[in-house]
Amino acid sequence: MISIENLQLAIAGKEILKGIDLHLRLGDTYGLLGPNGAGKSTTIFAMLGLRSYKNGQVSVLGHDPMKQAVEIRRSIGVMPENAGFYDWMTAPAYLQWYGRLYSITQTERDLDTLLDKVGLGSENQRTIGTYSRGMKQRLAVARALISYPRLLILDEPTNGLDPKGRREIHDLLLEFAAEGITGTLLCTHLLDDVDRLCNRIGIIDQGHTRLEGRLGDLLAGQGTDQHYRLRLEGKPNTANLPAGFSLLAHEGDWWHATVQFKNSKEPSALWGELWQRGWRIQEIRSETSSLEELYLRITAPAASYSQEVTK
Amino acid sequence: MKTLTIAYKESAQMLRSQRGLLWLLSFSGLLSAFSLLLVSNTELSLLDNAQVVYMMSGTVVAAGALLAAILGSDAYAGEKERGTLVPLICTPIGANVLLTGKALGMLIAWGVMFTLATPYLWAVGASGQNLGAAVFYLALFGTPVVLGFGYLAMALSARTGSVLASLLSTVTLLMLSASPLLVGPGLRGTAIGRVMDAVNPFAGALNTFDSVIIDSQPFSAQVGRLVLVFAWLGLCLLAARRSAAHPNFQ
Repeated sequence: MISIENLQLAIAGKEILKGIDLHLRLGDTYGLLGPNGAGKSTTIFAMLGLRSYKNGQVSVLGHDPMKQAVEIRRSIGVMPENAGFYDWMTAPAYLQWYGRLYSITQTERDLDTLLDKVGLGSENQRTIGTYSRGMKQRLAVARALISYPRLLILDEPTNGLDPKGRREIHDLLLEFAAEGITGTLLCTHLLDDVDRLCNRIGIIDQGHTRLEGRLGDLLAGQGTDQHYRLRLEGKPNTANLPAGFSLLAHEGDWWHATVQFKNSKEPSALWGELWQRGWRIQEIRSETSSLEELYLRITAPAASYSQEVTK
Repeated sequence: MKTLTIAYKESAQMLRSQRGLLWLLSFSGLLSAFSLLLVSNTELSLLDNAQVVYMMSGTVVAAGALLAAILGSDAYAGEKERGTLVPLICTPIGANVLLTGKALGMLIAWGVMFTLATPYLWAVGASGQNLGAAVFYLALFGTPVVLGFGYLAMALSARTGSVLASLLSTVTLLMLSASPLLVGPGLRGTAIGRVMDAVNPFAGALNTFDSVIIDSQPFSAQVGRLVLVFAWLGLCLLAARRSAAHPNFQ
């Protein structure tokens, strides 16, 4: 549905995108990850034909954004980052107006159904200016869905929301994905969103795609290190440690360790092995997710390479 | 159809907002005060009826151009600052459709001002001979001048992404253009004044009002000035189309 090869783009003479690769296929929920300023939003704008690029091959739903931007936008629902609304309108009036820009006329019932789905059914008489941030995010999801899109592009959809609000947006997206939207591009720097929603990821940094592939394959194939904090009874024997297990530091009873799991090794097997070696483990806390480890490693200053694990 | 959808939003935003109502109220107040002065002030009441209509026509065009400058400056940069521009340009509408819709919204606002001004023109000029000509030429020359300033403001608004920068630039140009109205025939009698008159669309409109309302000259004498104001509109439209094709939205 989206195929981008070596996209390069400059704005006012400054190179913003220096080599972006992105491949989203039918049925994918693709997490586009990267630090602030990495070029995520600019990549989206290039896909929509809103930014001209100097080099690279870009195809979105089979169209070239430089020549067929309107056709592309007709089939895509977009939730831009921090996008505003006309505060003087009510939500149904706004959605009806917005739908007309897609040549779609919504009945009152259609609008009520959509607003009910995003949890704004009881708030449809209020003007948007009175909505909370969370309510506006839900309305932004409804706006992105108003055109029954084939492809959904969400730029930081849960930014600034509390954990409950984030979870509600996640549930909404999962529900809509199950209803037949055939591809979703989720652009975020929140790894929890990607962990929960995506099957495929791309990590971009400083205008380059550093890594792209199926999330499961990347985590397994990279042999990602994970950090743990172990509370032990007494001082352990640190002379002979299991393979892939290394100690980083200790503070009182707590020992910080990094573990590199091999393909099939389970954490429980490692803890059992440590117990047999005399480690009296009282408590284990995971300090980072494996995706976070992967992300930090890829976006670290030294990571100037590009990897393609699974296309 | 999409043009009308954009225009609907633009005009509704203008006419329903406090800002829009305040503008219309201020405009009515200005015209009321002007009309009152013309009948109550000893010196002004001695003015020829045609002279009064001419002055009021010039004031209406100036106020219309100022409104167009404000709306045009807000058209892209205001939307950008409120975060509503990106959702708009992500929809399947072309840059020219968006521009035309916004211009149509501006035209509706000018139409409301024109309608509001007509009874005042009638009130001060009903006893004269040239009220009909005044209304006709106000529409014919005032509309391209006002719309031109609107397009110019939209061009700057789309290019700079800043309401303030766009508004200051357009209003400065508007004040320079309107200077013949302020300095009177003194400057206009000089060579510089004549050159300014020849290229200044605002002066073109005012000179036409002078010509048809006060001197009762025929339409054929206005063709050169008509070309000037429509050339102004065309240039501003081109500038706006160029900027709106790649608006500053990020």
